[in-house]
Amino acid sequence: MKKPLHKRLGHGVKHAHRRVTKYLMERDTLFATLWVFIFIFVLGSIPLNLGILNPVKLGLKDFDFNDLYYSKVGNKQKNDIDSNIVVVNIGRADREAIAMLVEKTASMGPKVIGLDVLFDGPRDPYQDSLLRETINKTPNLVLAVKYLTDSSHKLIAANNYFKNDKTLYGHVNFPTHGDKETIRSYYPFKEDDKEHDIIIPSFTTTLLKQYNQEAYHRIEKKINKETIISYSRTLTEHKKQYLVVQPEDLMMDMVDSSSFKNRIALLAYVNDNPNDIEDKKFTPMNEKYAGKSTPDMNGIIVHANILSMVLENNFIKKFPGWGNWLLAIIVCWLHMSFFIHYYLESHIWFHLAAKIAQVLSAIFFVWLGIEIYNRYHVKVNMKYSLITIVMAVDVIYFYEAWATWMHKKYHYNTVFKPHHH
Amino acid sequence: MKKLLFVSLLLSSAVFVQAQGADFLIYSFKGNVSVVENNAEAKAKVGKLMNSSATIKVANGSAVTLICNEAAMFTITKGGTYPLRNFGDSCKVSKSSVSSNYVKYVWAQMTKSSGSPGSNRKAYMNTVGAVSRSINNVWIDPRLDTVNYCDGDVPLSWKSYADAEEFEFFLFSSTDIVNPIYKTTVKKHKVPVSDLLGKIKPGNTYYWTAAVKGEENDDLKVLNYKKKEDFKSILETIKAQGVPFEGDAEQAYRIAFMLEDAHFLAEAHDYYEKAATADEANVLYRSTLMSFRKDYEIK
Repeated sequence: MKKPLHKRLGHGVKHAHRRVTKYLMERDTLFATLWVFIFIFVLGSIPLNLGILNPVKLGLKDFDFNDLYYSKVGNKQKNDIDSNIVVVNIGRADREAIAMLVEKTASMGPKVIGLDVLFDGPRDPYQDSLLRETINKTPNLVLAVKYLTDSSHKLIAANNYFKNDKTLYGHVNFPTHGDKETIRSYYPFKEDDKEHDIIIPSFTTTLLKQYNQEAYHRIEKKINKETIISYSRTLTEHKKQYLVVQPEDLMMDMVDSSSFKNRIALLAYVNDNPNDIEDKKFTPMNEKYAGKSTPDMNGIIVHANILSMVLENNFIKKFPGWGNWLLAIIVCWLHMSFFIHYYLESHIWFHLAAKIAQVLSAIFFVWLGIEIYNRYHVKVNMKYSLITIVMAVDVIYFYEAWATWMHKKYHYNTVFKPHHH
Repeated sequence: MKKLLFVSLLLSSAVFVQAQGADFLIYSFKGNVSVVENNAEAKAKVGKLMNSSATIKVANGSAVTLICNEAAMFTITKGGTYPLRNFGDSCKVSKSSVSSNYVKYVWAQMTKSSGSPGSNRKAYMNTVGAVSRSINNVWIDPRLDTVNYCDGDVPLSWKSYADAEEFEFFLFSSTDIVNPIYKTTVKKHKVPVSDLLGKIKPGNTYYWTAAVKGEENDDLKVLNYKKKEDFKSILETIKAQGVPFEGDAEQAYRIAFMLEDAHFLAEAHDYYEKAATADEANVLYRSTLMSFRKDYEIK
């Protein structure tokens, strides 16, 4: 007589459970798991760059599993326009035109204005004096600077000719190695390594201090703390999640003043043309999340995302390193138990079962990471767990040889029998 | 029955409230666009918020991009008068769970076929040029980086990011890229190659560009005017690459694809047309012809 469905299902679950747990508490499973981590440690400690000719490693150098969330599955983040922020495109305006745009923007009544332009040294004296005058008479204007270290290794705010003691300013640096890396984080405050009273706030931090004290308090203690950027909005040909005003529209009074009143106005170069990469950065919202691609987001939209994140208290917490390793140990241990079961009891199916388990586990753990990221705003690094799953299969072969040798030499008790396959 | 009436009343009022409650934001516009609110008409302004009782008037040749409920974006490009309450459907934004998006994505990636050149020509075409680093108001599709031409007609086209009415087209010889051999002012965003035939000679290379009138554009594109015998030899080579028992329509389609890949756009258009005419029932040939015309602004 055929068993009812629930009993057959129950039997199947019990069977699968046994496959995972039968060898779970065996000493061999624990030691094989340990060997996986020894291998990871040893391979990671080799001072040579063995991935120099490895296209997979090179292609995935700047890869993060959570990028899938931004790029493909996260509803392209929140769909609403952030009405706290309005962006004014400065196009290719010169210093005189920038001065006019700043004045016009200020006349619309924003609470604070950010000018995301670096002014390296003097240019035309007439234009420079116009811009300096405008900057001096706009007390709520925040200038962009870059933090650097001078010849005495002291932290300085540089790259802005118009910065003086009275102007508000903030740094626009991102902690990446060159402009080809994805921007995932920023420093709300950068502190000098030795002189702790030298602190340069970020461009967005200074803007927030002027705009919303409550939001500012959320970041005021993040001195020298690398903060993950939670991207919520983008600006592309097909998706506009920040209001962008064109300079000619602003100057010809074609913009509703209510869209500026008591808001944050950001002046910078913006272009939603995907083929124009002027001042564009790589972000996790790039359609292509691995391999070669083109930069996808203007720098000012990255700053706007930081502002939205702090205003909406939408921070991402980082799961601690020890937690990631602990998770990897548990994942590796469970997989090792499953693999050893197949290795010893159904060896003919071992490789097939292992490959299927690896693919399914990879899909599951990437989903788990994304879901935790989405629900709890916690970034768990699943990389270690996935590496251990991949390595576990190969380590079993090594472990078998090692256990057999130990058995012969020291009568080490093992479930592996010599040359069993 | 009473329950049924109550439920339908509740549902219809919910739909009514949703349609009435929509807010519209003018994101951008060009040309003459005005807004009618409380029987008062005013010129449209970027960033203006309106409710669904407002009406928007778009003059011919103008366009307006609206964002509904801070979420859904749509553009009106045809002239006319549009009460905003009619755009209820455009306000819908589908939001599915991250998990279901993930499952759909993984499934699509695992099952998606990579396609073939015949059915997905853009994925296999080598006509795209380099990404530009510029802040021009005029953008020329990288697919027009190099155009080889012998016979027929194809427009040299561009897009404008400025609200400009007139554009200047410049044609340079390969020996002098400072002084144009031909310059014209046009209102459309294209110049047909056939208009240039009196200025160009077969066997020569020319450069061209377009800019908003009064502006400059350093982004030069290449136009190779090929001699008839050179094109004939290329065509013979392409024809010889066919498989046995290739039908007329199949051959025309293959030649069109290979000519497009070799940047002979006018000639490729002729062959895509031949394929679509030779096998009128073939949806792929017809849709590819339409797609080709759209890509290269052929009307």
